[in-house]
Amino acid sequence: MPDFLQQFLASPVMRESLQPAFLIALVTASMSVMIMAHRLSFLTVGVSHASLAGMGLALTLSLPLLPAASGFAVLIALLLALMPRSQGISEDAGTGILFAGSMALGIILVSSAPNARVDLFGLLFGNILTITPEDVSWLWLLGGIILAVLMVAARSWWSIAFDSVTAAASGLPVTALRLLLYGIVGLTVILCVKLAGIVLTAGLMILPAACAWFWGRSLFGLWLMSVLFSLTGTLAGLLWSYAYDWPSGASVVLALCGLFIVSWSIYGRVEWLKHHVLKQ
Amino acid sequence: MNAPIVQLSNICLGSTGKPILENISLSLDAGHFLGIVGPNGAGKSTLLNIIAGLTAPDSGHVDLFGQCLHRYNRRSLLKQVGFLNQLQEREPRLPMRVRDVVAMGMPDFASPIRWRKLSQQPVMEALALTDMQHLADADFRHLSGGQRQRARIARALVSKPRLLLLDEPSAALDSARQESLFQLLRQQCDDNGMSVIMVEHDIAAISSHVDSVACLNRRIHHHAMRGEQIPEIIWKAMYGEHIRIMSHDSGCIGCGPGGSHA
Repeated sequence: MPDFLQQFLASPVMRESLQPAFLIALVTASMSVMIMAHRLSFLTVGVSHASLAGMGLALTLSLPLLPAASGFAVLIALLLALMPRSQGISEDAGTGILFAGSMALGIILVSSAPNARVDLFGLLFGNILTITPEDVSWLWLLGGIILAVLMVAARSWWSIAFDSVTAAASGLPVTALRLLLYGIVGLTVILCVKLAGIVLTAGLMILPAACAWFWGRSLFGLWLMSVLFSLTGTLAGLLWSYAYDWPSGASVVLALCGLFIVSWSIYGRVEWLKHHVLKQ
Repeated sequence: MNAPIVQLSNICLGSTGKPILENISLSLDAGHFLGIVGPNGAGKSTLLNIIAGLTAPDSGHVDLFGQCLHRYNRRSLLKQVGFLNQLQEREPRLPMRVRDVVAMGMPDFASPIRWRKLSQQPVMEALALTDMQHLADADFRHLSGGQRQRARIARALVSKPRLLLLDEPSAALDSARQESLFQLLRQQCDDNGMSVIMVEHDIAAISSHVDSVACLNRRIHHHAMRGEQIPEIIWKAMYGEHIRIMSHDSGCIGCGPGGSHA
């Protein structure tokens, strides 16, 4: 094992991918708490798939990929937030429609892009090992913005998730804060794409908080546990990826799924013991 | 002379053919405890939402603490208002301790930048008022319906508001807890000058505690002060001709000596 770790850390590709992968793990874990609290899991699936159209547009118009995709993802997320429910379209139906339509547009744009060397597999499933220095700079910028906004708005978002009517009655600008949350979710989706790709991004944005949800008792405790689960899953996934030559994004998501099953099982066992053994 | 805590002037909501609230005018002084009763769909919760600035009326205006409520002063005025929303069927299940739920009612809870940790003293005091202090560190999700409602009431009280708006606060509480809640609210009005507007269905339960009762069904049919009878015709206008009127408590509002009560 120590030899394996030495080889892993000696690999320049792995060493260079660790820092951005941990940054993504920190940011997604922090946002995943809000995504779970506001029940936005399906929105993240929709926005991540819809962002393929943004990438297709960027490739067709020869725009920088990540900035263009970020703008498009925020636009889609805000569109979903503003979609008037009173006109007969519920949020989940709207997400489904935008998800399918944008994905279809994205596939057509990417397949007919003038640049023939498009790594469609990389876009769909991510590959942190091919990250460029420009991508890393963009990730730091996005990550910084997301964490700064989260630090300022976290308690308001938490309050709205608990009871939006009472939050509004306390004077909080609930609509503006919701729009901000959706926009930041859009940015976080793009942050994840390099590691997990469009298809697996939702896993990074849901699983860390889902693992922590059983154990957290406060916003800070939940955030801390979510970050710990996310960092552990990311490291385990990258180790697997290196050991068995598996795709990095899929390995990380699989490791997080494993952690979720372990967390869920232990919680179930603890609850069973509380009810059946300690009460006797 | 001090300005009223709440002054509603000619509040109207809804279209002419389908009014939700019609020409509501009401004034509430400091320390006054007002109960609002009426049938389902009478506009009770809507009226509470208008006072809390959640719904804008089509005409008329709302004054809080002597100032006209508008979008620019809404936040500062609402910091002095405690609000308890009607109990929802599907409550969000966030992992939180009871003390954290109550702390959310503090005025600076959501401040973007806070240098000092929130004081736990007001939280524990509010929990003590609703007899929940022993459950301060319990998981909110694991409480019974009544315990959750008491934690939510503590959340509305924690900022020591000048005005408390309560939408069916006794929902999920047993009769003993209901009685202690109404006594607590009466005490807050008498000792701290808090004004309370409370929507309830059961006039008999609240009548010995409140200062007045407004009978609402789209408009205020009658505003009865303590000791005043509510004429039978008012009950029939609000609930319909099929209502049976029974007298059971000579001390309550609407049931004065020889009076009648729904």
